Amino acid sequence: MMRRSWISYGVLTLLAMVSLTPFVWAFATSLKPIEQAYEFPPTMTLEQARWSNYTDVFDKLPFGQFMLNSTVIALAAVTGAVLTSSMAGYALARLPLRGKRFWFALLVASLMLPSQVLLIPHFLMYEALGWVGTYKPLIVPAWLGGGAFNVFLFRQYFRSIPMDVEEAAVLDGATRWQCYRRVLMPMARPAVVAATVLSLLYHWQAFLNPLLYLSDFRKYPVSLGLRMYQTMAGTWVNLLMAASLIALVPMVVAFACGFRAFDPRRRGH
Amino acid sequence: MMSRSWRDTGWAFALPWMIGMVTLTLVPMWMSWSLSLTRWDGLSLGGIEWVGLTHYRALIPGAPSTDERAIKAVTNTLVYTVLAVPLNLMAAMGLALLLSQRLRGMAIFRTVFFLPYMLSSVATVMMWSWLFNPKFGLVNRVLSVIVAPDALPGWLYSEFWCKPTLVLMHVWLCGGPMLVFLAALQRVSPSLYEAAALDGAGRWRRFWHVTLPQVSPAILFNLVIGLIFAMQTFDRAYLLYDRSQNHGLLFLMLHLYRSAFDAPHRIGYASAMAWVLFALITLMVVPILMMGRRVVFYAVRR
Repeated sequence: MMRRSWISYGVLTLLAMVSLTPFVWAFATSLKPIEQAYEFPPTMTLEQARWSNYTDVFDKLPFGQFMLNSTVIALAAVTGAVLTSSMAGYALARLPLRGKRFWFALLVASLMLPSQVLLIPHFLMYEALGWVGTYKPLIVPAWLGGGAFNVFLFRQYFRSIPMDVEEAAVLDGATRWQCYRRVLMPMARPAVVAATVLSLLYHWQAFLNPLLYLSDFRKYPVSLGLRMYQTMAGTWVNLLMAASLIALVPMVVAFACGFRAFDPRRRGH
Repeated sequence: MMSRSWRDTGWAFALPWMIGMVTLTLVPMWMSWSLSLTRWDGLSLGGIEWVGLTHYRALIPGAPSTDERAIKAVTNTLVYTVLAVPLNLMAAMGLALLLSQRLRGMAIFRTVFFLPYMLSSVATVMMWSWLFNPKFGLVNRVLSVIVAPDALPGWLYSEFWCKPTLVLMHVWLCGGPMLVFLAALQRVSPSLYEAAALDGAGRWRRFWHVTLPQVSPAILFNLVIGLIFAMQTFDRAYLLYDRSQNHGLLFLMLHLYRSAFDAPHRIGYASAMAWVLFALITLMVVPILMMGRRVVFYAVRR
């Protein structure tokens, strides 16, 4: 048994080293002056590391603005997505609703429909509404259901909670909204965390939609902003790597919080 | 039990989603289908010209009116999907099996393997194209120790190697399906393994006859989602296309995007392409789902 665990650790360490190589290489590049970025083998010592590259990222381009833009878009979209998808999931799972089967069939169908079928009509619609060049095409759809995947996730989760819970609250005089807000949402915490973290990742990484709808670079989210370190005259590969690593930080924090919420040892059952 | 005021409250809760369903899915679907039967540059509504199934004919291989570039894009997309998805899932499963052992420090390894998944696609592509840069990248520098300089692959710049490089990148990004597998493995009851061990099953047979059937719903889920997303690959192709030789990285989604949003805007043709892509995905996924109903083991039969 002892020997087997050592083999596992050995294999995992080896794989982890391979998996981390791109990060290590990116990090090393991010600390070099641009002339040395192309040198091999690396001649630089750690004392020569240019930590100032990490501030240059913000000086050469409005990277702080890009981060802020991404944060604004992601927060606005994730709030809407979690709110409206959980409400729809609640209705489909536990509320009287005429034509529920029909709506559920539509939900499943839309789950399978690839987004590119809707890409062009969406563009034409938002163009007609005068929304191109604003954040509306990136945020408003999230407030109208927040994606079939999220609705489905909440519907499944709400179905797994016994009906008595709600009936007890109703006997105490709770309204439907209070049932949803105070009883069911707290009980559906794992689903809320999963939907929040996954939506956050989706909106933070979104590339195609911002590319389509935004042209003024001061409105760019991080995903588009990163590209500018390459397309400007000559590539600042060192700054590009530094910026890529900075953009990763908010997601790592979000997932760390998400994992903690999921960890069975931290929850009382 | 249900009081009068409660009847149909479902509407109030589902309304935002229902509005979205109609305005953002049903109406656009109808628009997309109608547009695919027309020729239009997207400029004035008067310029819409009815062409019937012409665009779809251009997407059938071997016909005189075939758009060879679209066929190339379909082939590229299929080759990439068929290579990338199974390898990605195998890597995810292997890692999940290693990580599901009850050993200390697994949370750290889990984070390490999940880290790539959190990178934005632009950052991923930038890091990989730097790593695989034919002249300055780490990979070729290391390879140059054992390989002659002119035999070094051009990776993303080579017609042959560009897709394997992208496949490798996709394998590196297996953190998402890995988490799904990990969650499924944790639900497998230890008593099943004990029973199998009592019956004298070795490690390989326990994996084959206990683990695999138990996690088969997760495999089906990851496979279907993986195929749907791989067929729609856009970001990587868009960012790396300029480097590839002979349209090696022209994927269908990129061809669609360029047809619609680059001049001359061919809105109708691009819409037809979207439906062809949808048809290809359906042709791939539906048989898998049907086979899945027979092969996949569910604890609760419905």
